[in-house]
Amino acid sequence: MKPLRITLTKGRLEKNTVKLLEKAGFDCTAVKEKGRKLILPLADGKMEIVLAKAADVITYVEHGVCDVGVVGKDTIMENGSRFFEILDLGFGRCCFAVAAPKNSNFYSGYSAKRIASKYPNVTKRFFESKSMDINVVKIEGSVELAPLLGLSDAIVDIVETGETLRENGLEVVEEIAQISARLIVNTASMKLRKDEIETLASQLKAVIEQED
Amino acid sequence: MKNFSRITPEGTKDILFEECKARRETERRLASVFLRRGYHEVLTPGIEFFDLFTLPGAALAQSDMYKMTDNNGRLMVLRPDSTLPIARMTASRLQNSAYPIRLFYNQSVYRNCPDLSGRNTELPQMGIELLGAKGLRADLEVISVAVQALASCSKQFRIEIGHAKLFSYFADKLPVSEEIKENIRGQIESKNYGALNEILSQLEPSTELEAIKKLPSLFGGAEALQAAEEYCSDEETRQMLMEMKKLYTALADFGLGERIIVDLGLVQSNDYYTGAVFSAYVEESGDAVLVGGRYDTLLEKFDHPMPAIGFCIDTAVLAKILPKNGDMAEEINDLIIVHSEKGFEIEGQKKVDFYNNQGVTCESSVCEKREETLLYAKSRGATKVVVVGNVTEEIDIGEAQA
Repeated sequence: MKPLRITLTKGRLEKNTVKLLEKAGFDCTAVKEKGRKLILPLADGKMEIVLAKAADVITYVEHGVCDVGVVGKDTIMENGSRFFEILDLGFGRCCFAVAAPKNSNFYSGYSAKRIASKYPNVTKRFFESKSMDINVVKIEGSVELAPLLGLSDAIVDIVETGETLRENGLEVVEEIAQISARLIVNTASMKLRKDEIETLASQLKAVIEQED
Repeated sequence: MKNFSRITPEGTKDILFEECKARRETERRLASVFLRRGYHEVLTPGIEFFDLFTLPGAALAQSDMYKMTDNNGRLMVLRPDSTLPIARMTASRLQNSAYPIRLFYNQSVYRNCPDLSGRNTELPQMGIELLGAKGLRADLEVISVAVQALASCSKQFRIEIGHAKLFSYFADKLPVSEEIKENIRGQIESKNYGALNEILSQLEPSTELEAIKKLPSLFGGAEALQAAEEYCSDEETRQMLMEMKKLYTALADFGLGERIIVDLGLVQSNDYYTGAVFSAYVEESGDAVLVGGRYDTLLEKFDHPMPAIGFCIDTAVLAKILPKNGDMAEEINDLIIVHSEKGFEIEGQKKVDFYNNQGVTCESSVCEKREETLLYAKSRGATKVVVVGNVTEEIDIGEAQA
């Protein structure tokens, strides 16, 4: 049997997942001392960890080259879904929000607003649900700059503490959705390797519930 | 203007040699299964009216279809699905046929995909439709053809069964808008337990609510059906569950055993399914390789009501598996090349005919000089060159090298 492939979002989510796996009794030495390797063995070769960028985690799981993935809900909301999302891992908590310059009274007036975001799909869907006509500008880096430079009326971005917003004179106008890390599973893998995947999910769930 | 004359559109591809051979071999095997089971082949047009695919209760997503207009300005689409055209055809052309009608098809469908997702937009499919038959016998017949078809190309696969109406029955009893219902359906489809619970926790508790909460986890073997009993307390749901149980037991007895799984959370976005639904999975593909189900109310939309069930198979996926199994017929063919001297071109063609009629692969050389033909023959790996002239001469390629 091929090892069960688990792909993790590199960086903070990866570290948190490794902690979770260790608490669930997995030996993660190989992952912690990975060097530059991107595919690492776990649980005596029964599993494999693959490190990837957030959006790629979804791509790998959707195509079934990885069976399971750990990725933020923000990436899932932006990139759509054709997989199972079976567990909220509890870490990486933050939220999607609309933010605008302080006291700018964002919803007033009749002119169509321009919104800057790294997440054009989430932005479009949110304003569509409010039947509001807007223009989305895609920004790759610090989105907070866009309203400051006069490019947009507001931004849609991930807000954790709100510190960056405050320091740049912006404030949250409305929250869009809560976000945290999720365990996702390829549709075919869920059917073909049900026992392995369900065991893994219940092991992780047990640790999460203990911590709560 | 940029010119795109040298590349194929995204999601499509040229298929060459080995890959093409594997595809044709897959098609041959599936067709022979369908023919032996008494199904008759049909073809439907590549272009159809948009209206056919937007019937209420059987609509495909507008954004998935390639559209164009005909010379009267009417909206047309590239065939995005084969079942709807076959339903249309059955209701019109096969009105007076005796039931059941057994049909099979081998044709591509076209679905518009988001850019760069790596999915194909041209999807070669083969499938069957059994029209005018219902009940366990018909369901079993179609699923057993599916098993036979898959087994002819792949050693390993799993079949999953569910019921299309179980979810909508429960959902219709909830006091919520269509929009929330669709949201709930989506969460069950993606087995998103967290989001599902969140939506449901805002509603009044009821038995239907509990059942919907449980649906995505009612997934596995006989125990999933057992667990479902608790939630299926009224006549209708009990009936559905009974159907599922009968089908499951029959398929297990049929020898599928471990390979059959039940997923009561199998809620397809395909609107037209009304009863048993099923999918099949293979290790080589992240998506279902076979999708099917019962659609008893579809033919009504064409004013010719009759029950029906069918499935379609992704032949591209099976063609990818076939060579891996190592059981593709190996053809070790001798290749003869005929070289005709000047003035003997007709005789040369006759010689090629002669070998072809004996079942031997034979090419006629287009080279003017004998030396060029010999070089060509060597590069093609031919066994011998036959020179047609005043005298007919056979040159073994090994000999020519010396």
